[in-house]
Amino acid sequence: MNADVADAVRALERAGTLPSEKARLFSRVARRELVSAHAELRLVAYAGVLLVTTGVGLLVRQNLERIGPLAIASVLALAVLGCFAWVARQAPPFTWGESASTHLAFDYILLLGALLTAALLAWVEAKFTPLGDAWPWHLLLVALLYGLLALRYDSRVVFSLALSTFAAWRGVSASRLHHALWTASPDLVRVNAAACGLLFLALGALLAARRRKAHFEPVATHLGWLLLLGAAASALGARAGSLWALVLLALAGVVAALGVRQRRFSLIAFGVLSGYVALSALLVLSDAAAGLLFWWFSLTPLGVVALLFVGHRMLQEPS
Amino acid sequence: MREEAKRADRHREVRTAARAWRRAGAIDQATLAAIEAAYPDDRARLGPVFRTLAFVFGVLALDAFFGVIALATHGRYEFGVACLFFAVALVAATEVLTGPLKRADSGIETATALLSVVWALVGMGVLLESTLDSERELLPLLLGAGALLAGAGSVRWGSPVLAAVASASIFLLLGQSPGGRALWVLVALLAVPLLIRGGESAAFPPSHRRSLQVGLVLAITALYLATNLVSWDRHWLESLAVPGASPAPGPALRPLAVVLTALVPLLVLAFAVATCRVLLVDVGVLLGVASLVTLRAYVHLVPVWAVLAGSGAAALVAVLGLRRWLASGAGGERGGFTAEPLFEDAGRRRSAEMVGALVTLGPQPAARPAEAPGMRPGGGQYGGGGATGEF
Repeated sequence: MNADVADAVRALERAGTLPSEKARLFSRVARRELVSAHAELRLVAYAGVLLVTTGVGLLVRQNLERIGPLAIASVLALAVLGCFAWVARQAPPFTWGESASTHLAFDYILLLGALLTAALLAWVEAKFTPLGDAWPWHLLLVALLYGLLALRYDSRVVFSLALSTFAAWRGVSASRLHHALWTASPDLVRVNAAACGLLFLALGALLAARRRKAHFEPVATHLGWLLLLGAAASALGARAGSLWALVLLALAGVVAALGVRQRRFSLIAFGVLSGYVALSALLVLSDAAAGLLFWWFSLTPLGVVALLFVGHRMLQEPS
Repeated sequence: MREEAKRADRHREVRTAARAWRRAGAIDQATLAAIEAAYPDDRARLGPVFRTLAFVFGVLALDAFFGVIALATHGRYEFGVACLFFAVALVAATEVLTGPLKRADSGIETATALLSVVWALVGMGVLLESTLDSERELLPLLLGAGALLAGAGSVRWGSPVLAAVASASIFLLLGQSPGGRALWVLVALLAVPLLIRGGESAAFPPSHRRSLQVGLVLAITALYLATNLVSWDRHWLESLAVPGASPAPGPALRPLAVVLTALVPLLVLAFAVATCRVLLVDVGVLLGVASLVTLRAYVHLVPVWAVLAGSGAAALVAVLGLRRWLASGAGGERGGFTAEPLFEDAGRRRSAEMVGALVTLGPQPAARPAEAPGMRPGGGQYGGGGATGEF
């Protein structure tokens, strides 16, 4: 029970700040007479999806020969159909805007159906190799499928999976090319990551500008910046590390400025962290003396903390 | 805690609730403004993002700063003394931050408070090491000191982080003594009712209540660990003590451990549901999962995939059933529980869900396994739920 809130509700009702009907509800919640199990149920549903997909992955891998292709395909297809039948029954009509959630487990059953479909596709690809040498493309197909499901059923979780699967597809392709060329080519993965990052940022901007699922924009933007900054940061140890540190610093400046302008505190955090990493890398790569590095790492973080307090005063992140 | 800090802490609790009401559309902006005016908060607080950054950079700065000082010291004694001086300086810094500077929930005061305990313990360890016969004598002393210092810090600054350190230190200290397992059970059983009551008492400010709740979770976890069958059979707690000091638990009480492994989560869950305590529901569910994993470690009736898929499906069916059952009650509630979100922060919940999904369900961009020269088609990787379902 939250004694402070319960007392405050009583006082606010007496003072006429809160109407009696509202005060009664708030008081019940504060006194633990009414408790929401919403978060707990969602968490258990998420754990359920995690367990089922892991179990199905093991089932297919360990019993591929013993059970036989028809049985596995039938079980997976039935499970997928079951999930999507439930989703179709619960789903609100399509809208380009944000639709209200109809059921607390909706996102999770949809997620389960999507993941089982991906498992089925991957199994078909492994067993019958319809894509032949172009097997990495199945990840692109899965990404597109996730994307369509996310749009139709308005699921940010599935949309984030669609983007990460798309990025994984680029990773797979890069690995294959690397293999084909017989050359160590981490640069290629980096380029792919940066390209995916830019693509996601553009997608986010497009969604917001066209007001088509504009609430998906933060997902694309955050993932895009993570990939872009990650690509630059991963090159700090490579040749021309100082140059990459400057690139990272410039990107950090852009993302922090955007974060300040749009009052997006997560983007500001990206900017602060990557900017600090870039500046520190510049110092380290310049072969600075150990003493100087100690002073750098002992004094500059305090500067960052001071900057954060100043930034908070300007932006007022809700605490 | 200072009186003005306690008052601000209580006011902050009301303001947080009011913002949640506003977010849910239960009150309008004018009402929110009136509530915030009636319950002013004079502390300089940061939001979760800035707070985390301030904590991380604070720890980095303080450790690096002390690193510079440590480099200038010569010998173990000087280093130990320097650690203690630094700890005292950090205590003073925390006092200034939480006092005249009115910092709360800003990350930096958490960093100074935590590091004051850490460096005090390091200093004590370095200074005492040479005077004691063995490291085994040093550990209980440091754990005792850790419990006292962190406990005092938690009371003074209202820090749940220090409460966690203090609680963990107490149980680890008990584990050092002969009969540590029995002491864990005894102390946990004595502490749980007190911590439940204290964690909800209006006599304590919210920060202290949260600290007591942290202690409650750790006490229940300790009780469970002391009675869990795997811990019993593998002598987890006895391994904490001086070798030979704490005898391995005898076989006579093993059946009791079997029963308690199943019973403790059920009792916690039943009590939590009966008294509408969500925190204990969460703890009970987690302990239940741990008991199911324990069961799986001893009983192999069905293959792993069947256990995973079956328990996952059962969890989903349970969620659907519970949601329907709760929603069908009068006013969408039963026994004080509702499946409605009430006043939760949907934005933060969605962010957490997306991060969770990306981390645990995102596919791996791995190369095909056993890729022979010339490249055979087929393969890829399906990474649902962390499964490395390679085909």
